[in-house]
Amino acid sequence: MNDYGFSDIYVGLEESFVTTIDDSMMKNFLDISGDNNPLHVNADYAKDKGFSDKVVYGLLTSSFYSTLVGVYLPGKYCLLQGLNIQFSKPVFCGDTLKIIGKVSYINEAYKQIEIKARILNQKDQKVSRATIKVGVMDE
Amino acid sequence: MTREEILNGVQEIFRDVFDEEDLIVEESSNSDTIEDWDSLNHINLVSAIEMEFGIRFALGELTALKNVGDMIDLMLKKLAK
Repeated sequence: MNDYGFSDIYVGLEESFVTTIDDSMMKNFLDISGDNNPLHVNADYAKDKGFSDKVVYGLLTSSFYSTLVGVYLPGKYCLLQGLNIQFSKPVFCGDTLKIIGKVSYINEAYKQIEIKARILNQKDQKVSRATIKVGVMDE
Repeated sequence: MTREEILNGVQEIFRDVFDEEDLIVEESSNSDTIEDWDSLNHINLVSAIEMEFGIRFALGELTALKNVGDMIDLMLKKLAK
């Protein structure tokens, strides 16, 4: 886990990590959320609606924005304060995602940073983007 | 930039932060008169104003403010520099 303190952070600071979506993640998300919409649990239904397979929950992939700030940027001293997400492409089981975040603004008075983040799939296609507001706690 | 232009700009920021498109902001407005003006939204307001107007506030300057009019006074000083 990274442990950037507020004074270590600058505009342009970037962190990223990679993860692959598998069926166990989908099952765990279903158990937690109760979202049993057939688009996410029934491959035949999803194919009938024009997708190549069942669609991964958008909020499952977005949970990696939490990991981005809580583990990587800034990491240990993170306090997530806001998240604005736009989805642009579907994600499927087996996709490998790269989650990237870059500091775009620093509020010195209240020790809040803004991070512009995006998630790319293995084809380098952007599947979502986000603006994240994070407080940085004292060390 | 005139006082009225700043108030209009600030009003748009308030409407965005509080997600209330009909919100009317006056110079006397403060956290007692705007229901959702809590500590986190206060930080969001300051960040949005800094970004929109290209100015920076110090914590000591912000703690002395009592309402939107005080904020505009401070912004006018910073924008004049």
